[in-house]
Amino acid sequence: MTHNIPMGGTSGAEVVAEGGVSRRSILQLAAFLGAGTLLGPTLVACAGPQSTSGGSASGGTGGKLSITLNRNLVSLDNKLNQYDAAVTVQRAVRQALTRIGLDLKPELVLAKSFKQTSPTVWTVALRDDIHYSDKSPVTVADVETAIKLYFQVKAGYVASQFPEQPTFTKVDDKSFTLTTTKPVVTLNSLMSNILITPAAANKAEELRDGLGSGPFTVAAADSGTGTYRLVRNENYWGEKALLDEVNVSYQEEEGARVIALTSGQTDVIDTITPESAASLKSNKDIEVLQTKGTRLIHLFYNFRKPAGHPLSKATVREALSHAIDHDALIKSLMAGQVTSAEGVVPSTLEGFAQTGTYTFDVAKAKSMLAAEGVSGLKLRAIWEDSEFAGAARVMEAIVGMLADVGVALELKQIPKGGDINAWRRGEAGDWDILANGYGNQTGLAITNLQGQYGGTAAKEKTRDTYHGFVHPEVTSLLDAASQNPDVAARNAQLKDAQEKIWALWPAMWAWTPNNLLARRKRVTTLDLSPGNFYDLSTVKVSG
Amino acid sequence: MALDQTAPPTAVTPRLLRRSAAARRARHSTIKIWLGAICASIIIIPVALARVLPLPDPVRGVLRDSSLPPLSDGHLLGTDPNGRDLLSRILFGGQTSLVIGLLAIVISGLVGIVLGAVAGYYGGWVDTLVSRALEAQMSLPLLLMLLLVVALFGPSIAVITLVIAVAQWPEPARLTRALVLVEREKPYVAAAQVLGLRRPTVIGRHIIPNILPQVLVVVFLLLAQAVLLESALSFLGAGVQRPYPTWGGIISDGRELFVTGKWWLVTIPGIAIALLVIGVNLLGDGLRDRTRRAKAGDS
Repeated sequence: MTHNIPMGGTSGAEVVAEGGVSRRSILQLAAFLGAGTLLGPTLVACAGPQSTSGGSASGGTGGKLSITLNRNLVSLDNKLNQYDAAVTVQRAVRQALTRIGLDLKPELVLAKSFKQTSPTVWTVALRDDIHYSDKSPVTVADVETAIKLYFQVKAGYVASQFPEQPTFTKVDDKSFTLTTTKPVVTLNSLMSNILITPAAANKAEELRDGLGSGPFTVAAADSGTGTYRLVRNENYWGEKALLDEVNVSYQEEEGARVIALTSGQTDVIDTITPESAASLKSNKDIEVLQTKGTRLIHLFYNFRKPAGHPLSKATVREALSHAIDHDALIKSLMAGQVTSAEGVVPSTLEGFAQTGTYTFDVAKAKSMLAAEGVSGLKLRAIWEDSEFAGAARVMEAIVGMLADVGVALELKQIPKGGDINAWRRGEAGDWDILANGYGNQTGLAITNLQGQYGGTAAKEKTRDTYHGFVHPEVTSLLDAASQNPDVAARNAQLKDAQEKIWALWPAMWAWTPNNLLARRKRVTTLDLSPGNFYDLSTVKVSG
Repeated sequence: MALDQTAPPTAVTPRLLRRSAAARRARHSTIKIWLGAICASIIIIPVALARVLPLPDPVRGVLRDSSLPPLSDGHLLGTDPNGRDLLSRILFGGQTSLVIGLLAIVISGLVGIVLGAVAGYYGGWVDTLVSRALEAQMSLPLLLMLLLVVALFGPSIAVITLVIAVAQWPEPARLTRALVLVEREKPYVAAAQVLGLRRPTVIGRHIIPNILPQVLVVVFLLLAQAVLLESALSFLGAGVQRPYPTWGGIISDGRELFVTGKWWLVTIPGIAIALLVIGVNLLGDGLRDRTRRAKAGDS
């Protein structure tokens, strides 16, 4: 066997090249193609922001929406926890007999009628056309089970808003009555929080998936990571949702959420800080929506202090409130996106009464404290991390303001997931001022008033009052108002109660932040409610 | 035979000597020491003088001066949203970080040297006990352990200092043990024993003074780690309570405002931490190289 060996000045490589494609060039090409396959998508993604949800949108209807919440949505049910933005997602899957509309008035959903037929009895008729996403009908038994389970769950958030558990009585296959021992004139609003699920699938715990009667169904759910994929319920009994799909995720970091929105990874972020809102307003692809909110944030005094403590005197509490320069706080730390309270509940709520205003007057604060013989007062303020936008900054500013009137304030920030409830109940340690937010999903002032100021001595024994606020004259007024079917008379009673509460100076300062939501402009329709939620079924995206 | 007076006595010229590996290493260590000293001094000297410098209050701000950028009137490094001077907060925050770091390395150094020397000199069950404790300590995830202890006992300078000190003692202890194992075999130790000195006296008076320079360099290097740990704890919200500034706390607070264009709240304290850590590490590295060379020269 012989080989043709090249001779002279021609190298072996050149000979191979002359004969066609070399092995080296094949390997180089393969390596290039492999690298291109691996790195191509990454390089393309790096080239500029891309929307992950933009591809499938088409002309007003259809399309995908991606929303990023700031808190983990652990369930698609609200038995234990209900924060504002969760309402948006939970009610896209499950519905209640009523809902709170954009004007904060109750509207019928699964109920055809919801009427107070006597002072203590409400008669409800279900709609004839309602059914779940598997086309099984919504029955009165489902409603009965839902009410029972909401009250069975321990430490339930929704149940605590009811003065008492209504007794369910079936009238026929489509109607029933709800009876209470005392009149509950706002039962139609309160029932907007009881989400209906098939009786067999309902449990006395939060539901992470399952059937609902809403405009969307759950295609995928991971409560651990807070990610959900909802798809349009093609069997929906009402007007079908405009979107094909909604992807819900969770990102606690405000900065990361803002970047996700500006880069097109998400379409909507809610409950943003005033600083982020101001920054996003200058972005041509983003629109910031704001509405007046229903959440009250206050620096609430601890009413469990012994009689000899300075904070047990209303005049000392009032004096401290004069030390707070709220205008400077609103302008510098809240970007003008909050309203200083003019009463003990947000002015957006039905039944609100203006009872006074917080005034900044250092000289008055000093003289009032001196008149009460208070000097060298040392207080401790607590709050949960991120309880409200810029919480730490606000509290640090207040340290300086109180120092100007001779009061030393120690700050104690409780980490998220820490035991804030034990602190609030006074079990983890003593405190004097709590910075806390109080949400409202009914649109009614009486819900806040009863939850915060309707404490009784019996409730205080188990520490179930709002930080020890027990004033029987206020409680009896609120009880009377809650049973009064005459709206004008009820509001007069509520006004009386609110004036009495204001005179007790329960908070050093209180304010209502605006609801701030940012959306990419491809989201063309989104109606943000004062309750800081929106109806997903009416949201529209463009291409 | 006549000697040629003009020829050099050796082929190794001064130029070659300057280019030798040993000379290069010596130069490098000198550069490291100078560079490290400059970087560390840029931070440590102003931090140490924070109380005598004419700086605004780091805790109480003027809200109308909220979020001023660097080089604003009266605020060289700008202000935070509460209108507090950032330079003042960084310098006073640095005091907290450095005090914690210095106290922590003093404690961990003392504990590490004593236990390491005892383990190395006595051997036997004492060595086993100390070595196993040291290994057990090193097997624990550091930051998790720190967070757990701070969560249990609450965040205060004393608790954070002790926690960091406890976390760092294995490093000097391990080195001390190894050095003592070598030293105890040397004739001067045998001579001290023959003279009738008791064992603690031999360790304290003869062995430790001989190994101290090398161990102190390692202890000094722990300062950078201690400052970083303190900053990490503050960043995670387990540091000194508000409103007192700490480096980690300042960065944590500025983090969410970074995307809104307030870059200085994160970047400038970040640079301060980086400068100090790089400076201390370079200085420690340079000193270690020099100590090694001196030791090699002695032997």
